[in-house]
Amino acid sequence: MENNNKKSQAFYSYCINPKTKFDTQEEGEIIYLLLRSHPFTQIGWIFSSIVLIILLFVLNFFLQNFFNPGQIFIINLFFVVFIFSYIWFNVLNWYFNVGIITSKRVIDVDFYAVLYKEITNAQLGRIEDITVKSGGYIESFFDYGSIFVQTAGTEANVEFINVPHPSDAVQMINKLMSKKHGY
Amino acid sequence: MDIKDIIFKIIVGLSAVFYYLYSLVISKQVKIMNKTLEDEHNRLILLVSTLQVTVALIILIIALLSIFIF
Repeated sequence: MENNNKKSQAFYSYCINPKTKFDTQEEGEIIYLLLRSHPFTQIGWIFSSIVLIILLFVLNFFLQNFFNPGQIFIINLFFVVFIFSYIWFNVLNWYFNVGIITSKRVIDVDFYAVLYKEITNAQLGRIEDITVKSGGYIESFFDYGSIFVQTAGTEANVEFINVPHPSDAVQMINKLMSKKHGY
Repeated sequence: MDIKDIIFKIIVGLSAVFYYLYSLVISKQVKIMNKTLEDEHNRLILLVSTLQVTVALIILIIALLSIFIF
């Protein structure tokens, strides 16, 4: 599989041939592509964090009227820790929710609110249909979208939401499927 | 000590305890996540999460000191 360094460096959201292992990886199974949500989709919590930092500064002007210096110190401490925790929680949520394309299957690793783990996988030979959904000005401009992989039978479907370069990822899956089927 | 100070200390104490418990849960979960997906950033992630637990413990100590001593 080709390696495109430019795309690999897109804030670790589109990594070709990554040096990564996952817990259910089989012997001889090679990871070709690792996908995370596009960094632009994280703008909501980044903006909220900036607003919270500004709010902390503004709040300090008013706190002097109601609390003594010791209490103000403790309030500030808790506020800073809260902002840090909020940022860290979102970073973890982004970093560990990944889509993996290997030589044998397509895997979706999801951690809902960090606490709940869900791993869905589809064998390349069982994939029936792949749909890419990408629309709107922002998605077209930043080249990101969602990939829906449908499988045969009762196997769960795999979804990669808001991933960068969805067409390229689907192309890679198609190539691997062709290889698997020997076309 | 007036009622405002007592309420403040109770809120601070409870918040510190909850934050410490939260940081422990996140730290435990980070270990599970690192096991699920191993890459070159695992050490850094573990370090930050350990730092969070340490900070939470320091805050808990400060909160307890502010309740019982100051």
